[in-house]
Amino acid sequence: MIFPPQAGLKKTRMDWALFLSMIILLALGTSAVFSSVAELPQQARIVRVQLLAIPMGLLAFGAAWSLNYQIYQDQWKYVYGALLVMLAGVLVFGVVDKGSRSWYRLPFFSVQPSEFARVGLILVLANYLDKRIGKIKELQTVLGAFGLCVPVFVLLIKQPDFSAILLTFPVAILMLYSAGASLFHLSIILGYGFISAVFPGLWALISLNPELMDNSLVYYFFHLSDSVLNASVFIAIIAIGAWVLWRLSCKFYTGVPGLYFAGVALVLILGFFSGVLVKKQMKEYQQKRLEVFLSPETDPRGAGYNLLQARVAIGSGGVLGRGIFSGTQSRLGFLPERHTDFIVAVVGEEMGFWGMLLVIGLYVLMLRRLMQGARLARDRFGYLVNCGIFSMLIVYFCINLGMLLGFVPVAGVPLPLLSYGGSNLVATMAAIGIAESVYARRYTLV
Amino acid sequence: MIDRQIPQERLDFIWALAYGAALLFMLRLVNLQVLGAAHYREIAERNRTQIISQAAPRGRIFSSDEVAIATSKPSFSLIYFPGPSRTNAEIDHMARTLARPLGGDYEDLRRGIYRAVSRGKPVRLAENLPPKIMLSLSELKAVYPGIDIIVEARRFYPFGAYLSHLVGYISKMDARDWALRSKDRNYAMDSRVGKAGLEKTYERELKGKDGGIYLEVDSRGKLSRVLESRKWVPGADIFLTVDSKAQAAAEEGLKKSISGKGAVVALDPRSGAIIAFASAPGYDPNMFVLSGSEKDVLPAGQILPEFNVAIQGSYPPGSIFKIITSAAILESGRVKPDETFYCPGFYDAGDRVFKCWNKKGHKKMDFINGLANSCDVYFYIAGQRAGAMTVEKYSRLFRLGQPSGIALPDERAGNVFGPGPRAVKKSYWFIGDTLNLSIGQGETLMTPIQAAGMIAAVANGGVFHRPYYVDKIVRSDGQLLYRGKSEVLSRVELKDETWALIREGLHSVVSEGTGQAAKITGAEIYGKTGSAQNPQGKDHAWFVAYATVGDQPAKIAVAVLVEHGVHGASAAAPIAKAVIEAALRSDLSAKAAPRPAAGANPAPETPPAPAPKGAL
Repeated sequence: MIFPPQAGLKKTRMDWALFLSMIILLALGTSAVFSSVAELPQQARIVRVQLLAIPMGLLAFGAAWSLNYQIYQDQWKYVYGALLVMLAGVLVFGVVDKGSRSWYRLPFFSVQPSEFARVGLILVLANYLDKRIGKIKELQTVLGAFGLCVPVFVLLIKQPDFSAILLTFPVAILMLYSAGASLFHLSIILGYGFISAVFPGLWALISLNPELMDNSLVYYFFHLSDSVLNASVFIAIIAIGAWVLWRLSCKFYTGVPGLYFAGVALVLILGFFSGVLVKKQMKEYQQKRLEVFLSPETDPRGAGYNLLQARVAIGSGGVLGRGIFSGTQSRLGFLPERHTDFIVAVVGEEMGFWGMLLVIGLYVLMLRRLMQGARLARDRFGYLVNCGIFSMLIVYFCINLGMLLGFVPVAGVPLPLLSYGGSNLVATMAAIGIAESVYARRYTLV
Repeated sequence: MIDRQIPQERLDFIWALAYGAALLFMLRLVNLQVLGAAHYREIAERNRTQIISQAAPRGRIFSSDEVAIATSKPSFSLIYFPGPSRTNAEIDHMARTLARPLGGDYEDLRRGIYRAVSRGKPVRLAENLPPKIMLSLSELKAVYPGIDIIVEARRFYPFGAYLSHLVGYISKMDARDWALRSKDRNYAMDSRVGKAGLEKTYERELKGKDGGIYLEVDSRGKLSRVLESRKWVPGADIFLTVDSKAQAAAEEGLKKSISGKGAVVALDPRSGAIIAFASAPGYDPNMFVLSGSEKDVLPAGQILPEFNVAIQGSYPPGSIFKIITSAAILESGRVKPDETFYCPGFYDAGDRVFKCWNKKGHKKMDFINGLANSCDVYFYIAGQRAGAMTVEKYSRLFRLGQPSGIALPDERAGNVFGPGPRAVKKSYWFIGDTLNLSIGQGETLMTPIQAAGMIAAVANGGVFHRPYYVDKIVRSDGQLLYRGKSEVLSRVELKDETWALIREGLHSVVSEGTGQAAKITGAEIYGKTGSAQNPQGKDHAWFVAYATVGDQPAKIAVAVLVEHGVHGASAAAPIAKAVIEAALRSDLSAKAAPRPAAGANPAPETPPAPAPKGAL
């Protein structure tokens, strides 16, 4: 038995704990958003969008809940096609805001397709893993799963929306992990992803600090991607280095498979190529965005300032908080991005330690219910879908709160249900609706 | 049972990850919100409030007759606090419009506004605005939000260069002052502090509590509302023992003197309270009120005349030292007061001839005549009789070589001359030294305040008080903070007849001797002139005196020094007379009232007698 026997005895159609914690978080978030934007010039628009997004989100939740989730498995090609079209379309028809072409401008509001694409990708990946479960331990399966992700990532880089990649990549890894993929394969993928992020990142860092180029090695590294010659020399060095290392280790140990060395070298080279690709694809403003992302000090007041102000906001709330609509840090604008990424700081300032405990507690409860939902799912697809949604919320939760509390570097990641952002809200509620749909059609003993 | 061909424990592992993260976050929150709440609350408060401080009026300084020597007057400052973000063109335009009525430099204004914008802090664009441009500025206030006019109190010294060495001055803080006060909430970077004199010594009492407008600002420094406007608390008022009229007479007299350098110290012999304290050259403390440092106000190459002649200038006392010699010879018992010595105009000391200041000689001289005429030969002989050690002893008893103890920094102690210090230096004492010592030449040095203490001791029968100048300090709410007390430092015990003889001699100095320029109708003046030889130039002129009216004890003792004044009788005595007249004006007018016709013979009949000359 993997669940308590009585768990399935009551056949309810709705996981009320999940639903209620979602609603309470939504209410907390909405009050915090209203409080934080009270002094902003775009207050009217934000309030309007939030008030529009809540019913739309509830509608999406209801629709997803009532619809049998298995339809996504049947129609996975349409789901995948729709999300690719959505992401490709935004590159053509979208509007630029804050350096990213990520929004569809509609008459009353804008839609950010990447938020929906993330949920869609979870469904597509769940279907793929469900089909390939017998060969889950093979590298092809893992590569295939990422093959599904790569077009999405490419389209996201084109926008560019680095935080969307930052969020989607771990979700895919966690889904593969919960589906039972080999840890070795996962680490290869992780390494590849890491390296393809590291190359453009390092180059951007070097161009930000030109004095580093005094070092000839750094100089050479910086100009790796400039000519085919440089690149091929680099690749040759890696290949030969891997081969030499393999031969050397064979002298000391017996039976060292050359595959590992070849794999590492391949990952390095592939990572390098995708890094070059990313760099070449980036436009001027995208480069700028990456630089700000990497080195927030280029922002005049600095990321240190933002983080400090967030910490001051949370700390000054104390145990009981300063009262809703009374936080000076947020209302007077010391808190950056207060209605989106730093919304939890507003909660911390205005509702204090108890408010923060409530937010964290409700989130943990929600995650717990999603996990239970996965356990109870009727089929493997449902299990994997719930795992995906579960992972997505965990990633959001860890990165957002970790950044706010100073464990993770600053990254523009919102906290779903609390942060302002219509698309994110609707997409998250739709995802929870799908999880509820899985729960409603769960496996029961009776 | 569902077999999903999936290892279920992996889900548990992800769950544990979430659970661990949540626990970590909560621990961090306990740290931030429960343990660190007060700290962060304070930062948040500092974030949101900005204070435009309004300097409180410093405590006023009054003379004993309640004339304000230092006061405060309202002054208007133009401040700018950064408003909603403006374009550079708008700022330039505003600066140009403001520069016209202010008459200030457009570039300075523009820079000031930019500084305010970039720092997000209010700045003072102009200080001490004249009232006539207030109207045009008030109109501009309506056009440009962000500029405002605040009223502050500014230090003002109505008499300018007057009692400056005692009062001191205030100025902006330098780096060291700021380091001392940066923790003090009552001081801002641009606060003024006392830099010298009373202003420095009683900084804490005079300062008061600054008021301020507490503004709530947002992250860009934009004003969102005024939280509160806190009224200032004025500083405590200081009442001095100094008499404004006597002080004015002293300042005036020194200013009009030949060199314009010198000092006047007038004490109340009953208590040691200072009645006048003038030291020339002085300075006008008003010039520092607005400036940042002395360098800004003084012309290049000129330094602030901070040297306080009254307590820091050591001069040979010359003939005024004969008061001490008199005490020594009378107390020694070796010279009878009515014993006469013959003065042929010189004294033959064997290997050298010492001259009297009067080359014709004074003929037969007893003690009273010797003191009245300041006959050097009388004091040569009598001093030799009494012995140099005795003279040295009495010069110590009259507190030479010791600072007077007035509460002012860097006081000098003068110098004791005599066989004792010579012996310490392992050198010889010659007969000529005894002669020089007897008439106050040689190595004896005295500061004007020591001279004042000496004559005050003669007036009150030998009591040395610590000179003090603060009568009381009264807080703005009327509470008495401090009251100056008379403090006896030491006492010279002389026989009554010695005092009587010295006083008689000093009285005849003024009535018929060298000090007739100090004669005042209605008061008895006891004085002694002095001309101190000065190798660097003309002789310094001394005059010490005290005055009694009727049978009352002496109320004033004064010492006047005029550098290079040549003759004590002509240069110093008239100043002393003016000071005494001013100080005793109420007593004198009360006395003069019944017989108004009696004031007909004030001027000295003879031209001022030549001053006594020391040994050559």
